Amino acid sequence: MKTGKVPQQLVVLGCIAAVVVIGFFTMRALLIPKSFGKYGHYRADAIEDVRALPISYAGVSACAECHDEVVKKKATGFHRNVSCEVCHGPAANHIEDPTAIKPPAPRLREGCPLCHNYNPSRPTGFPQIITVQHNPGKPCMTCHNPHDPVPPVTPKECSACHRSIWNQKSVSHHAPLECTTCHTVPKEHFKNPRLNVVGKPTNNEFRGKCHSKDGQPGKELLDLSKVAPKIEMLHAGRYRCWDCHYPHSPEGRQ
Amino acid sequence: MDQVISALDPFTGFIYPNEYHLQWELLIVLYPYLTGLVAGAFILASLERVFQVKALLPVYRLALLSALAFLMVAPLPLMSHLGHPERALEMLATPHTTSAMAMFGFVYAWYLMVVLLVEIWFDYRADIVHLSNSTKGVFKYVYKVLTLGATDVSPKALDFDDKAGKLITIIGIPSAFMLHGYVGFIFGSIKANPWWSSVLMPIVFLFSAIVSGMAAVLLIYMVTCMIRWKPIDMSCVNKLSEFLIYAMLVDFTLEFLDFIHRLYESEESIHILGQLIADRLFLSLVILQVLIGGLLPLFGLVMGRFGKLPDELRRMVYFISCVLIQVGIFSMRWNVVIGGQMFSKSLRGLTVYKVHMLGFEGLFAAIGFLILPLIILTVLVKLLPPWVDKHSEKAAA
Repeated sequence: MKTGKVPQQLVVLGCIAAVVVIGFFTMRALLIPKSFGKYGHYRADAIEDVRALPISYAGVSACAECHDEVVKKKATGFHRNVSCEVCHGPAANHIEDPTAIKPPAPRLREGCPLCHNYNPSRPTGFPQIITVQHNPGKPCMTCHNPHDPVPPVTPKECSACHRSIWNQKSVSHHAPLECTTCHTVPKEHFKNPRLNVVGKPTNNEFRGKCHSKDGQPGKELLDLSKVAPKIEMLHAGRYRCWDCHYPHSPEGRQ
Repeated sequence: MDQVISALDPFTGFIYPNEYHLQWELLIVLYPYLTGLVAGAFILASLERVFQVKALLPVYRLALLSALAFLMVAPLPLMSHLGHPERALEMLATPHTTSAMAMFGFVYAWYLMVVLLVEIWFDYRADIVHLSNSTKGVFKYVYKVLTLGATDVSPKALDFDDKAGKLITIIGIPSAFMLHGYVGFIFGSIKANPWWSSVLMPIVFLFSAIVSGMAAVLLIYMVTCMIRWKPIDMSCVNKLSEFLIYAMLVDFTLEFLDFIHRLYESEESIHILGQLIADRLFLSLVILQVLIGGLLPLFGLVMGRFGKLPDELRRMVYFISCVLIQVGIFSMRWNVVIGGQMFSKSLRGLTVYKVHMLGFEGLFAAIGFLILPLIILTVLVKLLPPWVDKHSEKAAA
């Protein structure tokens, strides 16, 4: 192969580079859909494709047209933000033919634990149960109306709602203490917890009852406070005790 | 209560629901490890080519071929993790300028096609032309194809090959830095993750890449010499271990600097990161990465290089040190990739990761991806012999 004054290697590599570059742009021209980039960095026809998909869900307003009483009742309860079709399944075809197609109504225990089975990552206060222990085999709706769910009886234990914190506390140094040792609990808290929140200690003197050298705990804490770690009240300086010591945590002394 | 405790067992503290399952698993650990070997091996080759460290001549071509073998396999773990390997092409066909992965996809393509393949071609061209004339059968045609039609082996053409190869190596050094720097860049630029978000991350990745690549080439060289029943060039391995010591020192210092910087800065994440190191990563970070994979091989290399040891013992020390370095660098990749996903973004909890055995992201797949480059390297070495024994013998004489 004669290439004149240009080195043979350069000519060969130049040709290959040209093939690669042309191949790349040809591949782009062939593979990239025509509508790509019309509205943004995506295929514009995808919008039409999605629009062409059959509609499965009807939406809560469609349910309200016929089942207004249930929808009204649900709108005032704890499940107000849970759409009907979350439990009853997609119901667009039910709207089209209400008599022939009936959406399912779950009546056993399969649905509720999806949200209410105990999971420590759920927010504090979210009602949770340990499904295998909580009335095993009994359908949830025997005691709870899913359209207006309230506990059949007011929970006596704080752990019914505050399971995550209760679990932590139960393996901490504060395990023997009742929650009410530190927290003041208004009676209304059991009926409407979010509007009547529990009180928390606000100053270091409270902790000082058990943990300061000259603290004076009440009778019920007298025995426990003897084994509590003692500190000077000036130990924390301008900080609150719980800035460093999370009282529910098993590592409360960190 | 027992059930609650057993349910709590895999993690401590508070974990968001989407943090139970780690999104980036063992294969993502493999990717920075393999690209690190590529960058390290190439930089080792450039020491001979650009910086004229003639003692490293016996490993120069072997380093280039190793880099190519590892580079060919490096994207496979990512594509396997992707689930839809064909979608990897979309990133290159429709790249978004704000996507670091897309932009560095081009760096990868540049490094593979322009730097590594072209450099190897220039370096081997005269040999390929010679082999295309001297071999018979299928191989004759393989070599004919590899010449790409450039069969001129006149002194002028060979001189041009040499100069072009050198120029490409000079271009290749920043490219190799970019290739591995970007892996650190991608982790380092994730602001939401305090374990990753550090400007030192690309540099730490780069130097650990150099360490792992050099150690890998040293290992491959020693093993191939044993297989071929050829003596190991002690001046070469001594020089290589010397560079390895320097690179390890820089790498270790940078990682230590990153560590004390985090301690001094003491951001709100420091407590959970402390727990992460003391609990979940204690074995892989403190024991494997720092002690067994860092300080111990460094001590071994220093003793081997500067101590008065017989050659046989010295070779053994180098070999064991290089194996330990691989363990250490792999642990480092593990600690970055897996460690960064083991604590909650709430900074209040830790989760666990258990390696799967089977499946595309399992242990066996990972072992396969580690063995595959060695098979490719064996083929490459058969096709393009990198040995320069004659030169070594002359140098020794």
